[in-house]
Amino acid sequence: MSRKAKDNLVRGAIYGCAGFTVLILVVIIGFIVIKGLPGISIDFLTRDYEDKTTYISVDAAEQEQTSGQEEGYVSSIKAVIGLNDKGQAVITKLDEDSPLKEAKNTKNEAYPVSKKDIITKAGDLKIEGISSLSDAVSSLNGLSGNVKLKITRPGGGILPMVVTTLYMIGISLLISAPVGIFSAVYLIEYAKPGRLMSTIHFAIQNLAGIPSIIYGLFGSLFFVKVCRLQYSLLAGALTLSIILLPTIITTTEEALKAIPKTYRESSLGLGATKLQTINKVILPNAMPGILVALLLGIGRIVGESAALLLTAGTVAQIPQALFGNSASGATLTIKMYTLMKEENDLTTACAIGIVLLVIIIFINWASKAITKRLLKKGA
Amino acid sequence: MDRNLSRNVKRDVWEKIVEGIFLICALAGVISVIAIIVFVFYKGLHPFFGEDAYSFWDFISGTRWAPSQNVYGVFYMIAGSVLATAGAIIIGVPIGVLTAVFIAEMAPKGAVRVIKPAIELLAGIPSVLYGAFGLGVVVPIIKEISPMVQGQSLLAVIIVLTIMILPTIVSLSESAIRAVPKSYREASLGLGASKIQTIFKAVLPAAKSGILSATVLGVGRAIGETMAVMMIAGNPTQGLPNSIWSMVRPLTTNIAMEMSYASGRQQEMLFATGVILFIFIMIVNITLLKLTNKEGDK
Repeated sequence: MSRKAKDNLVRGAIYGCAGFTVLILVVIIGFIVIKGLPGISIDFLTRDYEDKTTYISVDAAEQEQTSGQEEGYVSSIKAVIGLNDKGQAVITKLDEDSPLKEAKNTKNEAYPVSKKDIITKAGDLKIEGISSLSDAVSSLNGLSGNVKLKITRPGGGILPMVVTTLYMIGISLLISAPVGIFSAVYLIEYAKPGRLMSTIHFAIQNLAGIPSIIYGLFGSLFFVKVCRLQYSLLAGALTLSIILLPTIITTTEEALKAIPKTYRESSLGLGATKLQTINKVILPNAMPGILVALLLGIGRIVGESAALLLTAGTVAQIPQALFGNSASGATLTIKMYTLMKEENDLTTACAIGIVLLVIIIFINWASKAITKRLLKKGA
Repeated sequence: MDRNLSRNVKRDVWEKIVEGIFLICALAGVISVIAIIVFVFYKGLHPFFGEDAYSFWDFISGTRWAPSQNVYGVFYMIAGSVLATAGAIIIGVPIGVLTAVFIAEMAPKGAVRVIKPAIELLAGIPSVLYGAFGLGVVVPIIKEISPMVQGQSLLAVIIVLTIMILPTIVSLSESAIRAVPKSYREASLGLGASKIQTIFKAVLPAAKSGILSATVLGVGRAIGETMAVMMIAGNPTQGLPNSIWSMVRPLTTNIAMEMSYASGRQQEMLFATGVILFIFIMIVNITLLKLTNKEGDK
């Protein structure tokens, strides 16, 4: 084969490989978006995951004879209802002064009813399988005085997972950001090259290479069992903090290394102590780099699954405590996994996938923007 | 005068205290590594010692995992992990290196502006999303063409792992290629070599150690990947894989699948699986450190 033909063949292979890499990304994103888009809605983003049924007590309003109200208006509760496919009364509109807004649950706490809640029982009367709207209206209108209503708030949303993810980000960063940043400061500003420094670096490089399932094993043994935190927010966050350390330390180190020596020398020369120099000169200048480190950390937390599966549990709820019985909660990624693995619901899983993709793309964009500005300033 | 002195002393003490705090933080990484090793190894090696010990040989060479019958063999999982990783490396490294060549040597500026962010995004996508992609796209396709009834297979794992290690391979190879001095290329071109010949005979050999590091890092990522693989591997309870169509159960998924409900001996055996995985990772890490140090010496 002539040299030219050979060159062209190889050139073709190179173009093909580069094209393949981009194509893969397009296919993955395309698949997630197409599959998940039907599942995305405001309700999906703002609702609880499970249906929630509560008994509430309401003081029914005085009956007034009103004409010209829209169809389905119930004057005793000053709300408009519709029927769903199970023949249950769904609240579609609430008046400003509706007594439902003053409703109290069985513990006598305020439990305001909102749109799209379903009334399934009023007093002893079951509201189910009703075929005509006027029947439902008249039976609800028969109420007077203090009545007990059974209200179902429909779920199907990812709000608990969003909140858990935010908690997880907050707590993990609260632990690992100071430790990681201080650690980088020590390595760059204080440590002299030697045994200690190379040991620390060796440890950090090793941490970076450990797969997250091993962190999960460690966390489930140490934080969950030995420290008795149980499957909880704190156990997950502590495990994540260790996972984040290498990222935060190395990125902060890079930022500190980029600060010119003259900054330090002039500050020290002006009589500032080392600590003052770090506090007033070095850290402010390294801020953009540190910000990138934190952003990368957030990306890692959002994407983490194996370690959290073994430390924070898979329950779709907003954790009520840092540790203990009611403190477990699934992050978005974990929920996406359980949806696929246990409930075989690829559509909802991909809808969560879209949310994750948006977060990841935003983080990528933000950290790039910060780095770019930094480079411009340096030049 | 006295007051000044005492203020200085106070300041010095404060400086020392803060330095101490910084040092403690810096040691957190070391402490974590030691704690992880101690806890995982202690728990994982426990079932092989003392009375009622499980034979280590049976563990390491067994091809059946049946906790209910007290049978714990992980050899077929090791085989699964190693085969999947090897497959991903064999396919992923050439594609990744050629993509890096394209970015560093041949691509017009516009193309770089598309490909580089694409690769960064690929690197940032959570592994569960790769799992969804595998489950929704790769497995159904394999099911169509496979002689077996199911699409979950070694091949599916290899394909998804290949995609997952691509960003690592591409970005590290790219920086290795860019680090090759310009004079190498000029000398080669000046001697009459074509551009392609220059790349393959002069540039890539010079970037060899960087590409090797990228490969080792890719091995680490592939062997440690859990969630994406778990959904597409099939995870059988026994049997060595005998073709790319057969199901596999990598070490990582064995841990993740049973950890949530395991207790007693079964749980310890999952930690033992973790120990095997850890040893693989340590080999990878040490190889990587050796490689990068050698590069530094040069």
